[in-house]
Amino acid sequence: MNTKQDILDPIVERTAHQVIADEFLIARAKILELAATLDRIERSSGDVEDSIPMNLLAQGMHILCDEEVDKAKRVQLLMSRQYDPQWQHTMSITRKGV
Amino acid sequence: MDYIDPHLHMVSRTTDDYETLARMGCVAISEPAFWAGFDRGSVESFRDYFRQLTEFEPKRAAQYGITHYTWLCINAKEAENITLSREVIAMIPEFLGAKNVLGIGEIGLNKNTRNEATIFLEHLDLAVQYNQQILIHTPHLEDKYQGTRMILDMLIGDSRLDRSRVLVDHVEEHTIEHVLENGFWAGMTLYPVSKCTPQRAADMIERFGPERLMANSAGDWGPSKPTAIPDLIMELKKRGHSKELIRKIVFENPKQFFSQSKPFVHG
Ligand SMILES: [Zn+2]
Repeated sequence: MNTKQDILDPIVERTAHQVIADEFLIARAKILELAATLDRIERSSGDVEDSIPMNLLAQGMHILCDEEVDKAKRVQLLMSRQYDPQWQHTMSITRKGV
Repeated sequence: MDYIDPHLHMVSRTTDDYETLARMGCVAISEPAFWAGFDRGSVESFRDYFRQLTEFEPKRAAQYGITHYTWLCINAKEAENITLSREVIAMIPEFLGAKNVLGIGEIGLNKNTRNEATIFLEHLDLAVQYNQQILIHTPHLEDKYQGTRMILDMLIGDSRLDRSRVLVDHVEEHTIEHVLENGFWAGMTLYPVSKCTPQRAADMIERFGPERLMANSAGDWGPSKPTAIPDLIMELKKRGHSKELIRKIVFENPKQFFSQSKPFVHG
């Protein structure tokens, strides 16, 4: 994006080393929360292994570990209902000439 | 730093919140009409609400030096009731001349149903007929992607609309690109839990640039933080971004967008 360059000062773009230094403790805390949540589920009664939410979490964790980029967007799409480009036809939405 | 919060439901907040906002640098807010937490019983109930938004709330804000603007509509949740929606839409023009009304909003989808889409389209007709700007609510969580794409289909399918006068709110990582690449304005909403954080909003600014992008707190009666914009300012400062960039996001952009409505006067 051209305009982005005009105002985003390149010197403020942090190196990967800086980002991990700034955010390691935050990420560490979040991964620990997730681990403890999974432990909590594990020691509770009942079986949710094949449930939709557990499946979504498992697929989400897979995205975190794979080699692809755009992880936040991909997790978002994973947790989203499908979009049908034909929805207006399916819902019989008719529009006057606009 | 002076800032504008373009989406904040002050009818649900206390006067103490106005004072805190003023101390933190908030100079103007815009308040879209929304769901009260329960379904209203009649069109008269909306008429009272619109009086509150156009008469009482601007006075309460002015006590703290904050300029209050507003947007009128029947929200997506109550739009499920088609009859009531049409009565409200027919009544809205009574208030379009009020001196703090910026346009029609926040219209949108909630559960992405046929009735919601029907009433959304009728709001577009109203906005076009009265040459009003539009502020749009996109659904949350698993409904967001589908609902945002449906909303964009309806907007893009309407050749009467000037896209630079439409703001699509609550964008996140999977919807922001669709909104910006089609020429609309985008708003990122900062929530204390479960939705977009100041850190992720800062990431989106870095990835997509500051053009046609703004941030809001969408503070309301639920868990929310009306002072979320200062959190974003702090995050951007911490990352070393310039004052110019920050000011563009939190002041210049909302000002530029709102300036397309006659009642907006902020210098
Ligand atoms: Zn809202």
